[in-house]
Amino acid sequence: MSILTYIGIQGGSVRRASLEVLSQCRKLAAAQGLAVEAVLIHPQASDFVAQVQRYGAQKVYTVEDPIFEQHLNAPLVGALAAVIEQAQPRVVALASSEAVKDVLGALAARLDAPALADVSSFELTEAGVRARRPVLAAKFIARVEAEGQPVLVSVRAGAYDAEEAPAQAEIEALPFSFDEAKPRPTLREVIGASGGAVDLSEARYVVAAGRGVRDEEGKKLIDELAEVLGAAIGSSRAVVDVGLFPATSQVGQTGKVVSPDLYIAVGISGAIQHAAGMSNSRVIVAINKDADAPIFNYATYGLVGDLYVILPPLIEALREAKG
Amino acid sequence: MKFSVCIKQVPDVAAPIQVRGGELVHDTGRLVLNAYDASAVEAALVLTEAHGGEIDLVLAGPQAGQETLRKALAMGADRATHLIVSEEADLDAATYAVLLARHFDETGHEVILCGKQAQDTDAGLTGAMLAEKLGLPYVTNAVRLEQEGDTLVVTRQGDTGQEVLALTPPCLVTCSNDMNDPRIPTLKGIMQAKRKPLDAREADLPGAPRTRVLGYENLPEREPGRVLDGDPADIARQLANLLHSEAKVV
Repeated sequence: MSILTYIGIQGGSVRRASLEVLSQCRKLAAAQGLAVEAVLIHPQASDFVAQVQRYGAQKVYTVEDPIFEQHLNAPLVGALAAVIEQAQPRVVALASSEAVKDVLGALAARLDAPALADVSSFELTEAGVRARRPVLAAKFIARVEAEGQPVLVSVRAGAYDAEEAPAQAEIEALPFSFDEAKPRPTLREVIGASGGAVDLSEARYVVAAGRGVRDEEGKKLIDELAEVLGAAIGSSRAVVDVGLFPATSQVGQTGKVVSPDLYIAVGISGAIQHAAGMSNSRVIVAINKDADAPIFNYATYGLVGDLYVILPPLIEALREAKG
Repeated sequence: MKFSVCIKQVPDVAAPIQVRGGELVHDTGRLVLNAYDASAVEAALVLTEAHGGEIDLVLAGPQAGQETLRKALAMGADRATHLIVSEEADLDAATYAVLLARHFDETGHEVILCGKQAQDTDAGLTGAMLAEKLGLPYVTNAVRLEQEGDTLVVTRQGDTGQEVLALTPPCLVTCSNDMNDPRIPTLKGIMQAKRKPLDAREADLPGAPRTRVLGYENLPEREPGRVLDGDPADIARQLANLLHSEAKVV
């Protein structure tokens, strides 16, 4: 009996969120006397095995095929279903991402398995899984339960810490076959990589821009602040709608969920739809000229004032502090 | 093209909601059309206005859901089916998928649209579950939907960029609210909606769901933060110090 973790790969490396989930699965498995296993699905899946071993997987399934160069739901559901049939795990845990959200429901239906999406914590029970998940734009926590085997669980980024625990893993390469005749979407192109040098969902520091950032000058200040910190750039819907920031940078209920060590919300009012994506950050700084803006309810440190006046000295001070 | 849009009635997330004794209590009791589903209805309207076609709605839920169906009819959809379930029934995503799949097995389907998730659960499972049950190709989290002859061209928001996919009906697409701003029904639309066909029937529930909510809790309170007010250069410097020496993040 095992717990199986799906290891996502993005931009040529293993997603940190997947290692977080793997670390948690290792602990749960140890407590229950279960094996901890992982699955890698990528054209060069075996290149990532060593990294997965460092985080304690005892067995790693690999599925290699050129089709996995880009995200496509049909082959990914097929590959995951085949690995799960082979591994017969009690639980399949997946770090949540747009790719995982795209396949979780279909995978659950194909395997006739219960699924819990986007949980913030989970544990094993005799009959399945008990978990906690934010609901209603992350205003409340629902305690939920699933009964069956396997149970599929997707886990929000930042729910657990990634901790190394090297193990010597057995490796099993599984063949991939795909029914080309079955109708499926065909990928025409992928437009625009995410803005900023650092990937948002993996970042330790996030600088996020909202409606208060009105123009290119404000955007330049955001870029500078992000550069000084080595931060990824996030945004609220307002500045995506006007085209100042790319849609991939949107944080919130409909965008990305982030939980960095430091989240600096610049000119963001803090509507619940935005807060749903960032309220789990460790330290939150809010910079807003409206002292009544709801973002201050989440802020560890709140600065009331005009961002165009505050950011230049802040960038300067942080540059000095970083020495 | 013929569109079938699956919609859900949800509590108004903007209205005050509290947790009492592990239950969510909606003081206003206001129920609304799920915002993501409203974007799906709008997307179908835009395409049928440009290229012709028709729009069916389907909603699984208690009696009260009829009001939400009428609202979506007032936006401009042609007809509706209400799969009525009891107020007390415990429905999870898999249950909705079964109810909807049975419905489409009966009626047939060309393009099925859903919201990418429901505002109350934020789970986002039902759309892809339904596609799998019906054996349909699907795209989730669409931010743009276009019609090129017999082909739907869907742009979805992925992890690192926007993926442009082509698919041929029958198929299913789940819509993001970033796709459009759903129209507000006009008075004329509301009057017309009253005369549009609405087929209401009792739905047989497929056994007990295997996932369930045990109870609700408030979020753990964040420690109250500190507000820095004053000269911009001063507070900027103070913040840099606090991040370094107190929060120890920089």
